Amino acid sequence: MDIDKRTQQLAARLAYISDIFGPRENASVALLKHRLGEFLASASGYGMRELHLQVDRLEELFSLLEGKLEGELSPMDRVRIVRHPQRICLKDILENVYDNYAEIGGQDEWSIDPGMIIARATIARRMGKRTVQQPVMIIGQEKGHGQEFRNGGSIKPWGNANALYYMRVAEAENIPIHTYVFTPGAFPVEDYPGAAQQIAKNLYVMAGLKVPIVAVFSEGGSGGAEAIALADKRLMLSHGYYSVISPEGAAAIEGGLKEKASPELIERCAERLCITAGDNLRLGFIDRVIKEPALGARPDNYEFFRQLRREIVRATDEVVHAVQGLGPLRALAMRRARETADPLDIFVRWSLSASARNALVSQRHKKYRAMSLGALNDNSTMGTRLYTGLVRCLWQVNSLLRHDMLAKYKRRLSGILEQMEAELRALDQGLGGPFGLFRHVGGNRMGIPPEALKLLTSLSCPEEGACRTEDSWVYVSPKSRADRTVTCPNTATHGCLDLWAPDLFGEFAGVCSHCGHHFPMEFQWYLYNVFDFAQAYEFNTELESCNPLHYEGFDLKLAEAKRATGLGSSCITFETRIEGLAAVVAILVSPFRGGTVGAAEGEKLIRAIERARIKRMPFLLYSHGTAGIRIQEGTCGVIQMPRVTMAVRRYIDAGGLYLVLYDTNSYAGPVASFLGCSPYQFAVRSSNIGFAGPGVIRETTGVEVPPKYHRAFSALSRGHIQGIWDRRDLKKNLHQALLTMGGSNLYYR
Amino acid sequence: MLNVKEMLEELKASPYEEIEVVTPHTGVIEFVGLKPGDRVAGPGGKWNEKPGTLLANLTREKNKKPICATQKGLVTDIAAGLEGTFVEAGVRLLTIRHFLSKDEVIARILKKALYLFCAPERAKYYFVPEIDAKIKAGGEQSVKPREGMEMFIVSRMKRETPLAYSGPEGIVYAVYFQQGDNVDGGQPLIGVCQESQLTLIQDVVNRVQGEWEEQD
Amino acid sequence: MRILTACVELGHAFVCVYTEADATSGHVRLARELGGGESLRRIRSYQDASEIFAVADACQATAVHPGYGFFAEDFRFARRAETRDRALAFIGPSWNVIRDLGDKINTKRIARSLSVPTIPGSDRPIFDEMEAVELAQTIFAFQTEQGIEEGCVLVKASAGGGGMGIEEVYDLDTFRSVYRRIRNYAKRNLSDEGVLIEQRIFDFNHLEVQVAAERGGMNAVHFGTRNCSVQSLGRQKRIEVAPGFDPSSLDYGFDAATVLSAVTNHSVNMARAVRYDNVGTWEWIVTPKGDPFLMEVNTRIQVENGVSGVISRLRGRTDTDRGVNIIAEQIRLGLGEPLGYTQEDVGFDGVGIEYRIIAEDPADRFTPCLGRIENFRWTPEPWLTVSTQVPTALTGEPYDIPMDFDPNLALAIIWGADLAQVRVRGEAFLDGLTLTGTDTSRAPLRTNVAFLRTRTQTLLHF
Repeated sequence: MDIDKRTQQLAARLAYISDIFGPRENASVALLKHRLGEFLASASGYGMRELHLQVDRLEELFSLLEGKLEGELSPMDRVRIVRHPQRICLKDILENVYDNYAEIGGQDEWSIDPGMIIARATIARRMGKRTVQQPVMIIGQEKGHGQEFRNGGSIKPWGNANALYYMRVAEAENIPIHTYVFTPGAFPVEDYPGAAQQIAKNLYVMAGLKVPIVAVFSEGGSGGAEAIALADKRLMLSHGYYSVISPEGAAAIEGGLKEKASPELIERCAERLCITAGDNLRLGFIDRVIKEPALGARPDNYEFFRQLRREIVRATDEVVHAVQGLGPLRALAMRRARETADPLDIFVRWSLSASARNALVSQRHKKYRAMSLGALNDNSTMGTRLYTGLVRCLWQVNSLLRHDMLAKYKRRLSGILEQMEAELRALDQGLGGPFGLFRHVGGNRMGIPPEALKLLTSLSCPEEGACRTEDSWVYVSPKSRADRTVTCPNTATHGCLDLWAPDLFGEFAGVCSHCGHHFPMEFQWYLYNVFDFAQAYEFNTELESCNPLHYEGFDLKLAEAKRATGLGSSCITFETRIEGLAAVVAILVSPFRGGTVGAAEGEKLIRAIERARIKRMPFLLYSHGTAGIRIQEGTCGVIQMPRVTMAVRRYIDAGGLYLVLYDTNSYAGPVASFLGCSPYQFAVRSSNIGFAGPGVIRETTGVEVPPKYHRAFSALSRGHIQGIWDRRDLKKNLHQALLTMGGSNLYYR
Repeated sequence: MLNVKEMLEELKASPYEEIEVVTPHTGVIEFVGLKPGDRVAGPGGKWNEKPGTLLANLTREKNKKPICATQKGLVTDIAAGLEGTFVEAGVRLLTIRHFLSKDEVIARILKKALYLFCAPERAKYYFVPEIDAKIKAGGEQSVKPREGMEMFIVSRMKRETPLAYSGPEGIVYAVYFQQGDNVDGGQPLIGVCQESQLTLIQDVVNRVQGEWEEQD
Repeated sequence: MRILTACVELGHAFVCVYTEADATSGHVRLARELGGGESLRRIRSYQDASEIFAVADACQATAVHPGYGFFAEDFRFARRAETRDRALAFIGPSWNVIRDLGDKINTKRIARSLSVPTIPGSDRPIFDEMEAVELAQTIFAFQTEQGIEEGCVLVKASAGGGGMGIEEVYDLDTFRSVYRRIRNYAKRNLSDEGVLIEQRIFDFNHLEVQVAAERGGMNAVHFGTRNCSVQSLGRQKRIEVAPGFDPSSLDYGFDAATVLSAVTNHSVNMARAVRYDNVGTWEWIVTPKGDPFLMEVNTRIQVENGVSGVISRLRGRTDTDRGVNIIAEQIRLGLGEPLGYTQEDVGFDGVGIEYRIIAEDPADRFTPCLGRIENFRWTPEPWLTVSTQVPTALTGEPYDIPMDFDPNLALAIIWGADLAQVRVRGEAFLDGLTLTGTDTSRAPLRTNVAFLRTRTQTLLHF
């Protein structure tokens, strides 16, 4: 090969290495730099042979040191690898891994969202002498080697919506889906359909999608990744990262949002968040790691693409195999192949039979249900666990008998009765004419007994007492004890007068009496005044948050939160009655670490949902405020998005009624998953709902958002939520909602 | 015909507006160390969501409220003697000397050029709901008043009566009143620009843009 | 104004608040005269309670008088005054009394539990259609019995207010559809299906009983009745006469003396029962057949208290020869002083009439007029008290009527030994009254004097 070209390549390799290692001092890098410089300086003096020899040596040294440097990669270096423009991207994979492909989600910049590539592709498999083309649906983010219009793989809501559409297409066609996660995170705009809302929809649909899904992670940034990554098999490239938040984001939160975080802090955060492939494999959030060449795969690593092809085919095979039996010989061969041969040699049909499709979904549920269980403290004793297990079984049998078997007959019977009644009424109406006339004559105003007059002027229902009891709240906010006034934030526009705190936080329930602005209230206010907590049965209190990643300094903060609120996690789950209707309620409590959701909260929610499903009760989730996923739990937190969404999906598929109520500020992960996927979401007035707060939007997109961008009313006009309620009428509205949406048995199917 | 040049000269001779900052209500006043000659900024940000420079704090019933500048300008005169005392409502705290901006100069000149529809009596004025909605959606200039068109609601002594527009046809170029505030009889409510005047108004805008130099 | 004078009479120092719009009006002028500049504080708005408390704190005040409107019936204001860290005595009833009697339906239930007759109709929200129809039927029957030709029932949403969700029904056939309409309206807009059914109040005799009670609510007396039947549109009172009925010179077609004693007894008994602890007014209507019904309780001092005061005498107190100053009594009671007398000590003498001179146009639905008063004079008489905030009356300088407040110009109280004398004196006063000025929109300024003149005839010749 031409010497010039080879030296150029070496220079490029050096540039790449120094990009990856950033400003850090590294002996190997310095050595390479020195030797290459030396060579270039003296190159003109060498003869042809000498040159070849020198370049050979240099190349050897590069390979050697690259191998050495590979071992020195810090998590942040991996992040830099993943973000490097030379990193392989989805187009490269389509070209090199699949045999044939056609983009169907638009082309380059002519796409509804150029950051999202959707393609139909085929993988050829041999079957004897015949070649079979196996079709797959490819969905993934495209970073495009730094192409501006790709938006760095940050997907806008409509891009995710498009992805969702083609997932459904794949389901209809019964072909597997391969998703490739190359995203730093979703683009946090709230334009229709809304970042959070769309991700929630994606998760909800994927939770029940009846075709095999295999996901490959290269850059998995939080919610944006989850939007396409709820898969049966999750593979990860060895140099990729999968995290709850970008290290910069974590550092910004850690260091206080105002000033820019230092590189050291970012580096430290990257380490603490456990974002590498190895960490995630260890924690169980991915199934396998695909080995990349030293310092990460680049578009010219053809061997890597071959390996990727093998791995993705094998993963798909395994998913199919798990739910659909193979012939005994192939099964045997497959087991062998795991260690040695190319999986492409053994043919597995990827389209599933009807029963296998159902099995696939329940497998997927099992898979996610078992995740992150080690990331929380379960303080319950063995005895109580056994006991609850037993009670659960009994309830299961009970509800099976009552609702599945008896109800079937009852429904049929009542159907017949209804029909008969309707017939009778028709009969009555037909004959009703003359009767009706008689009735009219009867309605004469003179025919009133004189003693009825007494009725007009004497006290009705004396047992109620003369004074109607004033609406007083069971729980009164401690804020109402201060003798001070409070200014309503709408004073400038609505001319509200100052409110006296004892009035405002006592009688007015924190609502401005002039403009209706809702001041935030304590979660206890809702517990006692809306959910009748005094009479409720709280369960799973023994599940408590812990620090699964041993995130530095977090133990202390967690202990402080537990002490301040007296809670073990930011989630309270209980059974209660709302105006006489039994329901399972879960609350996300804002004062506990901002209402963030981690492994313990996720588990509590799932258990509450399961309880509601087994006992056939409506499930109500009240978000008193949530700032998102708890970043200190890293992917243990993020994984709660698909986990809880799956539980919700299962509950709703079983016929459950799931209501969500937002208050104060609800943002990020929870809204983009289990909160946002409810068909019935309501908000308390003056609450904010969104994917990312205004500060984050400014930082990530450079767009300033208007001051009222996240208001509940915007969410309502976008169709995210279904209604806005006054705090003082919450109980009444909830009751009404349960009745209208739940039907007569509160369990709508 | 309007002599724009003359009016501009006139405004250039006294390009300031003195804004008196008064207490909105009673309370204990506390200045924040401003001195005469200090510069203050008005509300900023794309939606005017950032308040202007803090001028003083007013505390009433343990509720501390900031008083912020509404326009940019120079602080000229501070009633420093009030520091820490209880003041009544409507007491002058300081004066801001505000140099007129281009938009304000245009508005002042236009006020003389446009047909002004004035309030017939002292009352509170509102737009009728349809017009209000139109203005909120498409700006003032989306409204085209005609003779006899019902545009306002006059609220006087808690009684509301409709008020019809009378004057030449055109488009609403400026609104001079705050909905729900008291307007004295004879004060202009809206400025209407006739079709034929459009070029003249463009001329005013161009001239001011060219000739008026904004100062801080 | 009379509050300020009463303070001075009782020897209390005062601070009067005012707004910019009121800076030139009579009460500010008077306050300056009585207490100097120190006794005045300008505030943003009379409706901003914080302003009043802030001023009270700054002046080290110990009590607060809420005036006639705004806060006088606001139990939250009273509660705040009583329960704040630096408590103030609220010159008015205790806040829980204000709250209980502030709600008409609640008042009705309390009254009914004490067997006080109240306006026929429901005393709680009705949710059942059958029940509603039955009630309406009974009301129509009752009205027929009372000799009312065109009966009328009011249907209103119990959670509503401000004229929304209220309709009149004249016969039973339309009642059902109206009831359903109101119920659906209430369900949709107020998320409360409750509906009230009530008899509409016609032009019956409107009687008021002036009650005064001391703190603790053990001792309560009344200062007689007054007749407030002459009202303009919107139930605004224009002329009041005390006592309510004069059976000695007029025939009402029923036993008026018995009615008077019934309403006063009921009022005082009820005041004792609810532990009423300040001055207040029990408002009654009397049907043409002479049946009294309690309408509501006003838990504040009313403007028309003077006409009851002018006919009341306290035994052994020479200072009440020209009447009892009820405002002074209110302040005294509000500060916790005992009454110091019982009902037996309260005597009555003569007849009083009160005119409200208002800038309004009786010919045009009593539309208030705004404008400039240029001349405002009347002939002073020993039997006449005129209180006005228009400075023109004192100084002769022109005055612009402020637009945000009641266009009430003056209140004239005339006393006479009997009905005939009061009639003559009243007409003499109205004849001697000069009030000229221009309206900003319609010249000249109109007042209701002509209206008062004609209506006095009808009232006093009943």
